[in-house]
Amino acid sequence: MSDRTKNVAFAVVALVALSIIGVGLAQGDTSQPSDAERVDALAARIKCPFCSGESLKESQSTVAAEYRTLIEERVKAGVTDDGIIAEFVANFGDSYILDTSTTVWSFGLWIVPILGLLVGGGVVAWLYRSSRSRSGVAP
Amino acid sequence: MIAVAGYVAIFVTLAAAVAIVVQGIRYSRSGDASKLSVPVATLLGGAMASFVFLEIAILSNDFSIAYVANNTSTTTPFIFLLAAAWAALEGSVVLWGALLALFIWLVWRKMGTSDGLGVLALAVMGGIAVFWFGLMATASNPFAVCIEAGASSCSASSWWPLVGTVAPIDGNGPNPLLQNHILMAVHPPLLTAGYVGFTVPFGFAIAALVRRDFGRAWLDRSHRWTLIAWILLTAGIVIGGWWSYEVLGWGGYWAWDPVENAALLPWLTATAFIHSALVQRRRGMLQAWNFILVISTFALTILGTFLTRSGIIGSVHAFSQSAVGPALLILLGVVVVGSLGLFAWRSADIAQKPRLDSLSSREGYILANNLLLTVFAFTVLFGTMYPLIVEAMSGDEVAVGRPFFDRASIPIALLLLLMLGIGTIAPWRVATPKLLWERLRLATVVGLVVGAGVVLLGIDSVAVVLTVVLVVFILTAIVVRYVSVVRSRSESTLTSAAKVLRNEPGYWGGQIAHIGIALMALSIATSGGLATREAVTLASGESAVVGRHCVQYVEPFSRAEPNRAVVGVVVEILDEACSRRLATLEPRVNSYPGSAQPIGTPAVWKGPINDVYIGIAGGDSDRIQLNVFIFPLQWLLWAGGLVVLIGGGLAMLVKPIRRNRASETGQPIEADASDV
Repeated sequence: MSDRTKNVAFAVVALVALSIIGVGLAQGDTSQPSDAERVDALAARIKCPFCSGESLKESQSTVAAEYRTLIEERVKAGVTDDGIIAEFVANFGDSYILDTSTTVWSFGLWIVPILGLLVGGGVVAWLYRSSRSRSGVAP
Repeated sequence: MIAVAGYVAIFVTLAAAVAIVVQGIRYSRSGDASKLSVPVATLLGGAMASFVFLEIAILSNDFSIAYVANNTSTTTPFIFLLAAAWAALEGSVVLWGALLALFIWLVWRKMGTSDGLGVLALAVMGGIAVFWFGLMATASNPFAVCIEAGASSCSASSWWPLVGTVAPIDGNGPNPLLQNHILMAVHPPLLTAGYVGFTVPFGFAIAALVRRDFGRAWLDRSHRWTLIAWILLTAGIVIGGWWSYEVLGWGGYWAWDPVENAALLPWLTATAFIHSALVQRRRGMLQAWNFILVISTFALTILGTFLTRSGIIGSVHAFSQSAVGPALLILLGVVVVGSLGLFAWRSADIAQKPRLDSLSSREGYILANNLLLTVFAFTVLFGTMYPLIVEAMSGDEVAVGRPFFDRASIPIALLLLLMLGIGTIAPWRVATPKLLWERLRLATVVGLVVGAGVVLLGIDSVAVVLTVVLVVFILTAIVVRYVSVVRSRSESTLTSAAKVLRNEPGYWGGQIAHIGIALMALSIATSGGLATREAVTLASGESAVVGRHCVQYVEPFSRAEPNRAVVGVVVEILDEACSRRLATLEPRVNSYPGSAQPIGTPAVWKGPINDVYIGIAGGDSDRIQLNVFIFPLQWLLWAGGLVVLIGGGLAMLVKPIRRNRASETGQPIEADASDV
């Protein structure tokens, strides 16, 4: 098989595989989380009120266990994720939601790292350009 | 009296550290390291003595010493007694000092009589040692004696050892979590050794800045010592994750706790330096950036230590609050302001002309990897500090945790994997699209085909599928490259296969480490994205199917151990049909005297594919509630960690560059297979 044919074969297989992946993933996540998984996911978003820096998911304290049971009851009763989070916000305030998504501060948390990436990328681009322009005049 | 001996040892060591600074500065011109033999030997001897005296006090149950009374007890098992020497604040500082002394001695041992850079670097490290032993002599004295005893603890202590002491009849015992698993005896020393190790490259960087000694000398030595510290830190982090997984019972190994983040931060910047140092070595650029990375890595270790020991950020890892916090903050300030000031002062001499011929080249991909690693570190640091920043700015209280860190790190990690896959096989200077395609076409196709297979199996998590594609891509690319390099040699395949590794331990050690990183990434994705989790309530004899495994509750048990009371249940893991027995597990709850909170300890069956992880959630012996997790490919995380360490170890076999081989420009000296 010539190298050219090989390349075509590789490209075709790659494209077919890529389209399978594309179609498969385009349908979105279809799996339904179990109740316990929903409880875990919610518990991970809420800070344990009287523990040192742990979420309700990770804490071993009795308090955290009680709140996990509370979340479990709400999940069983059919309350939505947002509803459960809202209940915690109402009781404890925004400062217990670990992704700051219920506060105005969420924007800053996300935008600063993105700005960091842009600035860093800009520096690399500048380094590259200045390197190119100098090698242009160099013998 | 051990307290007096220990206190004397600390002062002797402190004096030796001061002498290293003075002598180091004095002899930095001649570079005669032999002039430092007495202070260095005294430092090592004194630091080891203070550590050994603390261990003796602990092992002999000398409760007249406050640290011993508050952190050990007569029923603590031997191994956890040994580990108690670093289980609390004052002891952790002693371990830190002992390791720093060891590093200083190791650096000094290899030095000749005309090594000005090395001698000045010793003076810098000696300065850091002055800080630590000064801390032990003042705010964090591990040998403070007990002058007022409670029932099983010491309620007041005196730093001055020659006073009338009292001792409780028994001690308090270590924090229950710290005596629950053997890995706790290993994780802190390794992590500390990694942290402390970054003092050495920092010393060389500062010495180079002071002496205007730029080029290869400082770089090669910083690179080598960073690699050593990095290996230790990697081992410490992975073992810490493993401990968390085996002990904490919530089913994970990483919680994005501020202190975990503090360990990750220097790891990220050190990883960036290990790569960007190669660019300076091979292409003579990025020297300024390398200084920044070495200084940041060290500063981040001090920041991490400060976060753990100041109580400024609530964390389960935090030690008790003390005067150590402000002292560390001052050290951090001095390090950051001092080194960056020095850097700015020397900046005109440091700059190297960038010679980036193409963004698509080994150095281009390393630059991209550096950018991503730095942004990763910045993001983690920013997220960790964000609650403090917001509170300082507005008084509002916010919390940042797993949801943010998970979401922010996944895209960065995926991009890093992509750069890793391309960068490892790209040649220096220019990697043309044609060449990249030739080297990567098989890897691309295999990665995509395996990814498509995973999708056809019904897995629809985008992060998991992308990770699988990238990991298979990386593994194939490395194997293809290795095979083609081996084949290009004339010897027999076996000889050639061994020789390739032996000739270029740096490059192939790196590739093995990359394989380990890829395997860990795969495990992180599958165990996180494809985990199954159920809460089941079972009566004796009942069983439930979770994922593809059947869990059967057999019977409760309880037993008294010397240091704790254990209550647990016997659970059998069977196949999906509940017919064939695979394993018997005993998840339990341990209660320690002196601690109100019982500690749940999960039990894990490590199958060939899945881990079955069971913890007790509640209930009683009639009806037990169990948390059952199935984690696919979890074992790959630990195995991948081991592979990373093996790769790092192989890279250490690179022959150290002979000293004084000055190279002003850092022009490429050696050539390797990665050139062509």
